[in-house]
This record gives sequence, structure tokens and C-alpha cells, in this order.
Amino acid sequence: MFSQYFGHYLLNRGLITLDQLADALEYQKSVHVKFGVIAVDEGFMTTGQVEEVHEKQKQVDKRFGEIAVELGYLTEAQVEALISNQKQGHLYLAQALVDRKYMTIDEFGTALSEYKKGFSLSDDQFEAIRNGNIDTLVENILSSEDVSLQEKYGKYISLFAKNMIRFIDSQVYLEVADNSSLESTNWFISQDIVGEASLKTGFSMNEDALLAVASVYAEEDLTVVDALAKDAVSEFLNLHNGIYLVNMSNWGIELTMNPQQIQESTPLYEGSLIVNVHSSKGSFQLVLS
Amino acid sequence: MVNNLSVLICDDSMLIRKKLRSTLEKCKCETIYEAENGVQAVEKAKELNPDVIFLDIVMPDKDGITALKEIKAINPDVKVIMASSVGTSDHLKEALSNGAYDFIQKPISLDSVAHIIEKVLKEGNENV
Repeated sequence: MFSQYFGHYLLNRGLITLDQLADALEYQKSVHVKFGVIAVDEGFMTTGQVEEVHEKQKQVDKRFGEIAVELGYLTEAQVEALISNQKQGHLYLAQALVDRKYMTIDEFGTALSEYKKGFSLSDDQFEAIRNGNIDTLVENILSSEDVSLQEKYGKYISLFAKNMIRFIDSQVYLEVADNSSLESTNWFISQDIVGEASLKTGFSMNEDALLAVASVYAEEDLTVVDALAKDAVSEFLNLHNGIYLVNMSNWGIELTMNPQQIQESTPLYEGSLIVNVHSSKGSFQLVLS
Repeated sequence: MVNNLSVLICDDSMLIRKKLRSTLEKCKCETIYEAENGVQAVEKAKELNPDVIFLDIVMPDKDGITALKEIKAINPDVKVIMASSVGTSDHLKEALSNGAYDFIQKPISLDSVAHIIEKVLKEGNENV
């Protein structure tokens, strides 16, 4: 996720164009190697075991390595070795930008240092973000807007980023947006979480984004916003919220959730947090209050 | 070979019903019914007397736990499998203490459904 985030940082600073970013992200896909692939390549796991861990990852909010250790497929030492092998993920973006001649490696290095300085990141925080720690990255995104946002929404958004990557698209970029950016003409799929830490959650989507997310989640090509398409997006929200409830329960906070609602227009709530969710499948807004 | 189990799927999500039906068909279940909420689940459980019910928890009109209690009061022998994205220990305990046979967490995998159907069939054979 850091590649997407840092790529957008370069875009916002005018260091690369949108077309160059899209091209570099597409190009880096061809060189990015996933954890499971490295594990098989190293001879630590079989492909069947990797599949089993991927299946399990859809149900519990844990990292590949944690699950593999629990199942007895990897030792802690092997996980460490694989992490150090994979941790240079951001280098794939650097490689892609340099290969395509959009930036020199020096320019990339300078931008990376400025990013660290600009967000007042400690060495540990910067290292964690570069190594793909989504919790730290989300904390950084929220805290740069308002420190109280992290406390209120940090756990939810961090899990949401992971679930977008797990279920919809590996190329995800989140940014806090202005309340006025909500389009009332969009579809609104929502679900209320009830209990001591109540939360109203929803997706505000235009037709294209709804169909894109629905098609991926339903595993079929949906071209019309019909009952199945709406249901697929609604079920993705329900699944994500269900996993959030399990996490919160593990932290000692018991919550319940109401059935999802689907509306033809997005209500403009006062004081909501709006998060723009960009992916290669399309963009929509996560609305929380 | 087709098995003789009758199965009722109860979930407010059309996508889940579709996927679960397809998974059950792969498990050679031929008699499959559907319900869209807890009220329909109780009515269909009474009317159709299925052997197995897959029951969602978060549903409109009547939630899955309430439906489970009513279904078990009508037919104590039916095997009700709770299928939900909310697998907290509280939900598990509540479901099992009200007579649920098993619990599967969404997203539902073919393996977990196949394992349960196999278990039900095996128990059925042992009781013959």
C-alpha cells in the first residue's frame, strides 16, 4: 500500500503526472512478488499451504506470516527471513519510475526523505510504513489531518484498507476528504454498528464504482446496477464490519450491527469523516460518523 | 451420487444465497430451499421440515439467533449451521447454547460447507 500512497504523494507534489503514476503502478505489478510466492520459492511452504493461509486471511485480520506460524507451516525465523526479503516493496515503485525514465533514482531518494520530514515521521514509523505496515500508514494519514481522528476511526480504517486489499484490489490509496466533496446523487450503502463504540458506516458510490466493486466481490461481470450488484457491495460492507466486530471483541469491546441499508442518494450528514478510496477498479467514498 | 439431505438456506443477501446454493450443489445436495429473512426461515422450517439449515445472524425482520430459538422449538432435530461474518465468542456461545449444530464464518468456503455436509451425512449413517 505504501507504493500507492507514496506514488500519490509524488503526484500531488507535481513530481510525476497521473499517467506516469498509473503506468508505473501497472508496471510494478509485474515485478512485485507476494509473500506466499517467496515462501514457495524458498521451499518453506507448498502452494497448497499458501492457498490455505490465503483462505484463512479472508476470515481473520492477521498477517500471512502469523497464520502460517499458527498452522505450523513456518517458524518465526522463516517469517523474519521472508519479511526481510519482501520489505523493500517500495523499491518496486522506484524501479518502475526509473525504468520508465519518469524520475532518476536520486530524485526518488530526495522525495522519500522530504516525505519523511514533511510528515514528521520518526525512523521507526518511517521504517514501519516503508515495510507495508498499514496500521502505521493509516495513523499517519489521519493524524496529519486531526489527531482525534486516529483515536476515533483509526482501527476501522486500518482494517478497511486491509480488507480492500484482500477482497477488492491490491492497489488502494486512501485520503481524508472534505465534507463538501460528497455527491448526493451517488448510491449510499450503509450499516450501523451499535454498542459502546457506535459507528455509522457507509459507501457513497457512483454507478461505475458500484459495478466495479460488485463485480470483483461477486466474482462475475456485472454491468447493470441491479439487486445483485447492490447486494454484492452491501455484503462486502457487511463482511468488513463483521471482521471489525470480531477484532473489537478481541479487544474487549462487544458490538452488534444492524442489517445494511441501500439508498439511491447519499445523505449529507454533518460532522462525518469522508475518506476517498481510490483503487484501480474505481474511486468511491467511505463515510463514517 | 446425490445425497438425500434437504437444505434450507436463509440469508438476506442474494449473493450469499446464490453462492451457497452453488456450493451445496457441488456437495451433491439436490433439495435446496431459500429464505430471505428470519421470519421466512421459521415459516419454511415449519412447512418444509429440512434436515439442515444454514442461517445468517444479522438479518432484517427477525435476526438469526431469534429464528434459531423458534426453529429449534418447532423441530429440535434439525441441524442449524449459523453462517455469519460476525464470529465473536459471544455470538458463538449464544448460537451453540441455543442448539446450533455448527458455526461457519463468512466468506463461506467450499471446504467448510463440504466438511459440514459430510459430517451430517456420516452421523445420519451411524444412526441408521
